[in-house]
Amino acid sequence: METKNITLHQLQNWMQGMLIKGSPSTDDRKVIEAVVNHSQRLSAMRHLNIYRSSYIARLRACLQNQFIALAYALGNDLFESFADQYLDSCPSESYTLNTLGEKLPAFLEQTRPDADLEQKESWPDFIIELAGFEYALSEIFDEQAAGDFTILTPDTPDNLLKVTPVLHLFSHHFPICQYYLDFLQHKEPELPFPEESYCAVSRRDYKLGLFVIRRAQYYFLKSMQEGRSVKKSMKYLAKNFEFKIEDLEKIWPEWKRNFITSGFLCV
Amino acid sequence: MIKKRDQYLKIINALPNPGLGLGLRSKHFNYILEHNPAVDWFEVISENFMDSGGRPRHILRQIAEKYPVVMHGVSLSIGSTDPLNMEYLGKLKTLAAEVKPLWISDHLCWTGVNNLNTHDLLPVLLNEESLKHICSRIRMAQDFMDRPLVFENPSTYLTFKQSTIPEWEFLKYMAEETGCGLLLDVNNVYVSAFNNDFDPVHYINHLPHNRIVQMHIAGHQHCGDYIIDTHDRNVVQDVWKLFTQAWQLTGGVATLLEWDSNIPDFDEYHTELLKAKQYMSVMTGYNMDTEKLEYSSDAVSNPVDFLVNDFKW
Repeated sequence: METKNITLHQLQNWMQGMLIKGSPSTDDRKVIEAVVNHSQRLSAMRHLNIYRSSYIARLRACLQNQFIALAYALGNDLFESFADQYLDSCPSESYTLNTLGEKLPAFLEQTRPDADLEQKESWPDFIIELAGFEYALSEIFDEQAAGDFTILTPDTPDNLLKVTPVLHLFSHHFPICQYYLDFLQHKEPELPFPEESYCAVSRRDYKLGLFVIRRAQYYFLKSMQEGRSVKKSMKYLAKNFEFKIEDLEKIWPEWKRNFITSGFLCV
Repeated sequence: MIKKRDQYLKIINALPNPGLGLGLRSKHFNYILEHNPAVDWFEVISENFMDSGGRPRHILRQIAEKYPVVMHGVSLSIGSTDPLNMEYLGKLKTLAAEVKPLWISDHLCWTGVNNLNTHDLLPVLLNEESLKHICSRIRMAQDFMDRPLVFENPSTYLTFKQSTIPEWEFLKYMAEETGCGLLLDVNNVYVSAFNNDFDPVHYINHLPHNRIVQMHIAGHQHCGDYIIDTHDRNVVQDVWKLFTQAWQLTGGVATLLEWDSNIPDFDEYHTELLKAKQYMSVMTGYNMDTEKLEYSSDAVSNPVDFLVNDFKW
C-alpha cells in the first residue's frame, strides 16, 4: 500500500482491516511501520496491537453478557472460540451493541460441527435454541410497549380479556426455559435431552417474567394472541387439537387465575 | 455558515455549570430512585437509552425529572469517512427532545468504515484534510440536531506518521470553525500523553479553555510501558493534579467521574467524585497522599460491555 500520500479513507480502511482480521503478514508489518509512529517505549506494531487485542476482547465480553446461559452451556473456552469465529464472520454493522448477537443463532446453525453428517447430534440443536431464546429475551426487554395495564381479578369477565402486548410464547425441542431458569438460580444445569417444551415471557413494570407452560396453555394463549376470545380459543383448541371442551372449561378458572397473576392478560 | 457557528458559540458560552456529576449506570438505577442522592447531575450514555422501549428508558424519564442530565454518546463516529448515520442522529434527537439534556457530547474519533462498527473510539488522523472533513460533519450534525455539540478528546494508543497537527490545536481549530464545545477528559490526556510521548501539562495549557464546558475524570490501568483507559478504579494522583490545572484554567466547569467496569456501590462512586472538591485549588490539591501504582497487562481499552442490556428479573 502507498503510504506517503495515503488518503483519510485509505487509512481508516487499512486500520479497520488490521483490527478485524487475523495476525498481520510481513507486508502488513512494513505498512504499520510506515503509518504508525513508534514511541519511546513501544514499537509501531505494539501501539497497533493495543487496539487489535482490545477489539476482540471487548466484543467477546459483550457477547458473553448477552448470552450468559449459552456461555455457561458451552463452557468458557468453547464459547470464546464460537464468539471469535462469529465476530470474524459477522462484524458489527450497527451503532448499538444490543444487536451484536442478532445473527449468532443463525451462525451457530450454519457452522454446526455435524453439518455434513447424515446422523445429526442433538447438542447443537440445544445450543442453537438456547442462543435464539437468549437473544429474544434481550429484544423483549427493550420492546416498545405501554407500561401500565389495568389490574385484573378473577372476577373480570372473560369476554373482556386479551393477552398483554408484551407476551411472547415459545415452543422448543429442548427444555430451554427450564434450563435458563435453573442457570439463573445457580443450579448448574447439565445439557438436557430433547424434550418438547413451551414457555411464556411477559414483561410487567419493565421486568421480564419467564414461565414454563403446558402445551395446551401455549396453544390457548397463541389462539388469544391471534385475536380469538376466551370462548373461541377453547373451541379452537377442541377442534384442532385433542383437547376436550369440558376439560378446558373445568381447568379455565385455574388457568385464568395463573394467567392474571403472571401478567399474561389485560383488558 | 458563520452565522450558525456564532449562534452555536453563543449557546456554548451560556451553558451552565451544574457541578459534580456521575455516570448513570444500570447497577445504580434502584438506589438512585429510592434514595435521591445529592448528586448535582447525571451523564447518560445515549446509546443505552435511544433504542429502549423498556426499563432503561422508563428509569431515565424518572431520573431526568429529578436531576439535570447530559447525554454522552459513543457512536456518532464524527471522524469516519462513511456518511453520517442519519438514523442514529434521528434517534439521538428524539431522545434529546424527551430528556432535555443540558448538552450532548461525543468523541473526536471514528468507530468504523464501510458500514462496520468496531465499537472502539479510534484515533483520527490529525491533518488539514481530516480537520476539514470533521468540521464539515460537525456542522451537518449540529444543524440536524439544531444545537451545538460537545466533543471529547479520546484516549489514544497510537499516533499516525501522516498527522501534522497536535491534538490540542486540532481541537482548538475544530471549535473555532464550528462553534462546538469541548469536553476535556483529563484522564484521557494523561493516558494519551504517556502512550504517545507528549507533555499533558502543555496539552492542557494550549487548549481553548473558554470552549471547555465539561471535564471527565476516571481511573486507568497502568500496564508498565503503556496505559489503558479502563474506567474501572479510583482516579490516580497525577490525574488529579492535571484536574487542578484544568480547573484553574477553565475557571471551573461541570465535572464528571466515569466508572464503567468493576462499578462500585453508589456511595463509593459518589465519594470518589467528591474528592474533586479537594483538588479545585492548587493549595489543597497538591498536598494529598502518595499512592502505590499497580501494574497489569490484561486490560481492555474503552470497556463497552456495560452498554449491553442488564436484565432485572
